[in-house]
Amino acid sequence: MSQNQLSRREFLRLGAMTAAGALLASCKPAGPTTPTEGPGVQPPAEEAITLRMWSHQNPSFVAANEATIAKFQEANPTVTIAYENFPYDQFIQTIQTSMAAKNEADVMEMFGSWVQSYAKGGTLAEVPADIMSMSKAQELFYKAPLDGYVWEGKLYGLPNEYNLENGAVLTNKRMFEEAGIAFPPKWDSWDALVADAKKLVKMDGDVMTVAGFHYVNGDGLGFLYWEGVLERGADYFANDGIHLNFLSPEAKATVQWLVDMAVVDKVVDPFTFNPNSNWVGTSFFQGMVAIGFIGPWIVPEGKRNYPDFADPWDYVRCPYYGNQMSFAADSGWGKVVSPNSPHIAKAWEFSRFCAADAANARAWNVATSTVPALKAVAEDPTLLNDMSWLGPSLEVLPYGRYVGMLQDRDYIWYTVIATRLVECMQGQRSVDETMALMHEEANAMIDSKLSG
Amino acid sequence: MTTGVRRRSRLLRSQHIFAGVTLTPIMAYMMFFALLPMVWAVVITLFRYSPTRQGDVLGLGGGNPFVGLRNYLDLFSASPNGQLFRVAVKNTLIFALLVLPLNLLITLPLAVLIESVRERLKVVFRTIYFLPTVTSMVAVAIIWGAVYNPTFGLLNLALRAVGLPGRPWLTDATSRVLGVPIPMFCVIVTYVWQDMGYNLVIFIAGLQGIPEAFHEAAVVDGANAWQRFWRITLPLLRPTLTFVIVMTMLSSWQQFVLVDVMMGHGGPSNVTRTLVLHVYETAFRFQEMGLASTVAMALFIIIMVTTLIQMRILRKEWEY
Repeated sequence: MSQNQLSRREFLRLGAMTAAGALLASCKPAGPTTPTEGPGVQPPAEEAITLRMWSHQNPSFVAANEATIAKFQEANPTVTIAYENFPYDQFIQTIQTSMAAKNEADVMEMFGSWVQSYAKGGTLAEVPADIMSMSKAQELFYKAPLDGYVWEGKLYGLPNEYNLENGAVLTNKRMFEEAGIAFPPKWDSWDALVADAKKLVKMDGDVMTVAGFHYVNGDGLGFLYWEGVLERGADYFANDGIHLNFLSPEAKATVQWLVDMAVVDKVVDPFTFNPNSNWVGTSFFQGMVAIGFIGPWIVPEGKRNYPDFADPWDYVRCPYYGNQMSFAADSGWGKVVSPNSPHIAKAWEFSRFCAADAANARAWNVATSTVPALKAVAEDPTLLNDMSWLGPSLEVLPYGRYVGMLQDRDYIWYTVIATRLVECMQGQRSVDETMALMHEEANAMIDSKLSG
Repeated sequence: MTTGVRRRSRLLRSQHIFAGVTLTPIMAYMMFFALLPMVWAVVITLFRYSPTRQGDVLGLGGGNPFVGLRNYLDLFSASPNGQLFRVAVKNTLIFALLVLPLNLLITLPLAVLIESVRERLKVVFRTIYFLPTVTSMVAVAIIWGAVYNPTFGLLNLALRAVGLPGRPWLTDATSRVLGVPIPMFCVIVTYVWQDMGYNLVIFIAGLQGIPEAFHEAAVVDGANAWQRFWRITLPLLRPTLTFVIVMTMLSSWQQFVLVDVMMGHGGPSNVTRTLVLHVYETAFRFQEMGLASTVAMALFIIIMVTTLIQMRILRKEWEY
């Protein structure tokens, strides 16, 4: 090999050095080509940016978000919001898998009761103080929806919705009239509601064709259980504030009451009407339920899915135990921001525009038929012009608290409370056995989550 | 080296290059989208992994700590997940073991019957029986869910019309037949209704592949219809039978849509919770992907072992 010849290794090394040199040169900060200061110099135009936003695919939510986005883009001509929505199950999967890859959207619509888990995992950005301080948020929003967005004293999102199931029940006016019960009913106790519900039940032989009071559903059982325990003067959390206590006398009284309404009073047949069959949200609009325990969020669903349902209906205030209503709520839908967003400030600005601006928040709540998380919207008397059925629900908003960190909300709600209570109503276990099982399963899950 | 040998060698080399060039992209695709996720699934079984928590490297470590074999041990423990896993295994086993004989008992005689009718009718029957197979499983789940509805379902309406009482078919976990919950029977009936067209077509193809000469010889020897079926048709259908059994078992182990859509996430008291539903719920509802991957590994092993056993038992050492 002659002196002038390069070996292959040397050639590669030389080539690599040349390429690296060129790369470094290109990385050098460019010198100013135009003056940036001084008299007569215009401030630089704001850079055009694109924010990505994700939500689930509920049509009314999509329409509401599109309207807010259009309004924001009009006010911020340099911002384009690329909005994508997904079927509910895919939405959750997409969020989770994209978070692992750190390529999630800048702004995401998230259910408030999920936020603490994500915030704990470090996958959400904290709300900057200049966007919304904690004290300001507490002043603007109801406590129940807001507290779902708080983790270790820090705020991780802004709620649009107060997810409400308690306080009012959906009633079929025609059935009341046919049963000779005055409408709207004035129930001063649960016994009064149950007495009416018994009159509203309809049977065809051994089959219940109309449930007098349908509360045997996945969400409803949990909400009624929390409320029953709180109004009886206890807490569903154990003393450590982390584990759950299903063994208190107040818990037992509540479970016994929930079971007795189905088994003794027979206001609902738990075999025919339960989370898996004749769900309250559909069977009410099929004319099979006289009183249904479900929040006002079901109204747009019912109107859309059952346009031929002609029975007059309305929400009626629920009774409560004790001297004052006290219930636990599930936060609600709101906006969170990715910590990986390249435009984090603008993303928060948009989130505040959606959730904290009273006009925008009101429009969103009306379009989605959701209960407002923003106090100013809920207290606006004109809101009932757009959502006449919300009246009874709005009255109870101050009495709610956030349900709290359950570690795995769905497991507690559906796998433990709903499943075990339905089994108890169907006669598979006694009340005592059911409570012992719920206590064991719920706390085993909590221990398992904490042990990791 | 002769010219002919050189030419053959060049041809062979160009064939190798062509094979390499055409197969490499497919192999790369398979490596990236099939093998890599499988390896990743095995890796995360060793971590308490959830994408909702931040990790150090590739999302592992940090909020998603290394737990060794703890996820595997959890499947056999008294933890809620361990208990649910065993319920899911039991349910899937019941489902697979009942679906297979029921499917074969219906489709094989039906295929023989259809094969014995006139050609024009054959097409009509094949089309009718195959229709459910090309229907979306979700649609089937919704339709059959309405059929089983305790209040207005077709099944209860029919029973009441003949003076029999209706019942909550899908939501009563307490009623059992031979120890199997009635909701599980409902899922099995729906599944077989949807799936039988597929096996039927395969059996018909298998029957058409049996040379007519065997039957003619048997007729000459005085064999009746049952003897011809038992002594000739069934043995010669063995390769088809093996395929049908293995495929039916494979798809039974992976049942998801019916138990999710028709039964609402596994039915009352989890009596129809299957392994695939358990994997899905553990991963996406309860956000424990490490644990879900461990269950998926268990399912993989179960499917592999049962398939190998089936193929071993049903293997044949002859051709015709």
